[in-house]
Amino acid sequence: MLTTEERERYDRQIMLYGFGEEGQEKLKKARVFIAGAGGLGSPAAIYLVAAGVGTIRIADHDTVELSNLNRQVLHWDEDTGNKKVDSAVAKLTRLNPTIKIEAIAETITPDNVSQLVDHFDLIVDAMDNLPTRYLLNKTAIEKDIPFFHGAVYGFEGRAMTVIPGKSACLNCLYHGAAVKEEKFPVIGVTPAVIGCIQATEVIKYIVGLGDLLTDRLLNYDGLKMTFTELKVRKDPNCEHCGNLQGR
Amino acid sequence: MNAEIQVPSIFARYANNQTVFQVKGNTVGECLHNLGKQSPGLAKLILDKNGNLGHAYDVYINGESAYPNEMTRPVKDGDKLNIVMLIYGG
Repeated sequence: MLTTEERERYDRQIMLYGFGEEGQEKLKKARVFIAGAGGLGSPAAIYLVAAGVGTIRIADHDTVELSNLNRQVLHWDEDTGNKKVDSAVAKLTRLNPTIKIEAIAETITPDNVSQLVDHFDLIVDAMDNLPTRYLLNKTAIEKDIPFFHGAVYGFEGRAMTVIPGKSACLNCLYHGAAVKEEKFPVIGVTPAVIGCIQATEVIKYIVGLGDLLTDRLLNYDGLKMTFTELKVRKDPNCEHCGNLQGR
Repeated sequence: MNAEIQVPSIFARYANNQTVFQVKGNTVGECLHNLGKQSPGLAKLILDKNGNLGHAYDVYINGESAYPNEMTRPVKDGDKLNIVMLIYGG
């Protein structure tokens, strides 16, 4: 049941066709795990908190550095040296104090990942490295949790939504490929675009609206200002999701 | 066969700011090697030392993944190929 204040706060989205108070209540009950409080995690968290997702758990082991501030908009100049999750919780709570926000200042590892995402309905992949992205993807498949992938490089970014047992996963997309990971160039508006796409997908999934980015990779090129859609097939031999095909 | 290859914008600096190429070839492999003749800098990035597609790249033909065995996939006249690089940044 929504409060009078919640009806007023979310009035403009409750007005949306197919959304209504029922959709808002679904958001209020939802529990979303956001892996990473950086360039992607910042806009994703801001818009999910603004939209009224009831519980957010945000995990990141890093501290805020000056070089983060061009893109990680949850963190401000005064936050340098502080834990990113503490900075994130402070801003998000000020944005919407009705949301339960949990901060986890830990590295996501094979040992703790299951516990971290346990009892959460969705996972937002806002990581900055491939091994943890694969780990989260695999865990999401094993625990049947929808997984919302996003990644950026320079002016380019991409997003894809994974519904375990139904659609292609991150490992189907990249076939387990690994690359030497280095400091990468990025302009802040790119993760802003992609993080907002991830948040849009999360809201659509929870409320039950529209068509998800499943079996489709949406590729954004900010320099050409184009969005290209590429079809991704579920790989029957995928090491993460192959044995679940047709479940 | 005549096909078009589009490479990521971030590769423009290796190809005189060009990201779209007209190539000839009956397979993806032939098209990529033709691309390499036009732009050796791009070939160094996309192809490995054996002339195969680098493991950080995927090819899509008319928006459909060419995986697996990308290099031997047939290409038809007018096909549009996208080279997609694995990215991991957040």
